[in-house]
Amino acid sequence: MTDDASADSGTRGSEERAAWVRLRHRELFGAYRDARAPESARLEARDGLVQLHLPLVEHCARRFRNRGEPLEDLVQVGTIGLIKSIDRFDLERGVEFSTYATPTIIGEIKRYFRDKGWAIRVPRRLQELRMQIASTTAELTQDLGRSPTPRELAASIGCTVEEIIEGIESSNAYSTLSLDAADATGDEGGVSMLDLMGLDDAELEQVEIRESIKPLLEALPPREKRILLLRFFRNKTQAEIAAEIGVSQMHVSRLLTRTLDQLRESLQESV
Amino acid sequence: MDSRDRPVPAKADVSLRVPADSAYVSVLRTMTAGLAARLDFTVDDIEDLRIAVGEACALVLPEAVGDGDLVADFRLTPGTLTISVSVPTAGPRTADLDSFAWQVLSTLTSSADAKSDASRFAVTFTTESSMSVAGPGAGG
Repeated sequence: MTDDASADSGTRGSEERAAWVRLRHRELFGAYRDARAPESARLEARDGLVQLHLPLVEHCARRFRNRGEPLEDLVQVGTIGLIKSIDRFDLERGVEFSTYATPTIIGEIKRYFRDKGWAIRVPRRLQELRMQIASTTAELTQDLGRSPTPRELAASIGCTVEEIIEGIESSNAYSTLSLDAADATGDEGGVSMLDLMGLDDAELEQVEIRESIKPLLEALPPREKRILLLRFFRNKTQAEIAAEIGVSQMHVSRLLTRTLDQLRESLQESV
Repeated sequence: MDSRDRPVPAKADVSLRVPADSAYVSVLRTMTAGLAARLDFTVDDIEDLRIAVGEACALVLPEAVGDGDLVADFRLTPGTLTISVSVPTAGPRTADLDSFAWQVLSTLTSSADAKSDASRFAVTFTTESSMSVAGPGAGG
């Protein structure tokens, strides 16, 4: 601890500072743990202890800098770890306070990172229960040959049916699914969620056009209709059509152009 | 096992009235899961029921008029849960039996039915626990 604390104190002699911290620590801890002292005095001593050891928290928090979380936030959650350490520290153990507090502070900061990493925040109690439910469900399904009831799960885990329901409920919020996540089969090039999402079919618009063009085709004079049919459905060339109908190819071309123009116009009017 | 974990009595009815808004469907789903758990439905049954409730709501909600309420009635008997969701309507309605929602609903449930009169449209479905199908004594 002394090194951690002195690192922050700059030019002040580290030996001197360390001795002072140790002395002050003993003094405050004595006051804090004094059962006969009034509540206010004990709390004051506790505050003093927190203040005294804040440099330790800052030191720990600084190790997690540049990981996407503001240092101030890390110091704040680290301080919670410090407070827990102060409340739980056993003077009789004969270990340095910093030895005891450092893992607690770092644990608190790490937990903060873990909690922040979740898609949807679920209380830890539920997260653990959820994992228990998942594994127990698998076990019981094997044993019973069917999926278990919440009552069976509760009996097996040793909690209430109510908690099981809550756990099942929370598992729906536990992980969100990326739209690009691959299929569970895990093969590379697997189908992603996005691939399975519905899209408006590109041909959908064509349906509308086809439907609206039907009556227009019906209304065409027989010769024009026949030309369209031969050209677009039988795939005949203009020359072939000309021969079949008995007009010049020029004429077929003109008729086609005119008919298509008419159709296009009427379509646009109807839209 | 405390008293809250005991099975429901032979017959129990539960009603829930929520605003006819899709935001409240999740409340119905949670409620359904809670009740089904009491009736010794298996975890898989419960998952099916949650989906069925959602689809039943998807069928009735678009027909609701104004700021009417969605009423869900749950009839509980051992091993069977009958759920009816209804909304006030401006006139008689019919369920589209070809719709996706109806297909899902009828697949997941033992029976499904839609009823309508001049002022209400209701979708009712019944689900049996796969425990009771498997026969007594299967429980732990």
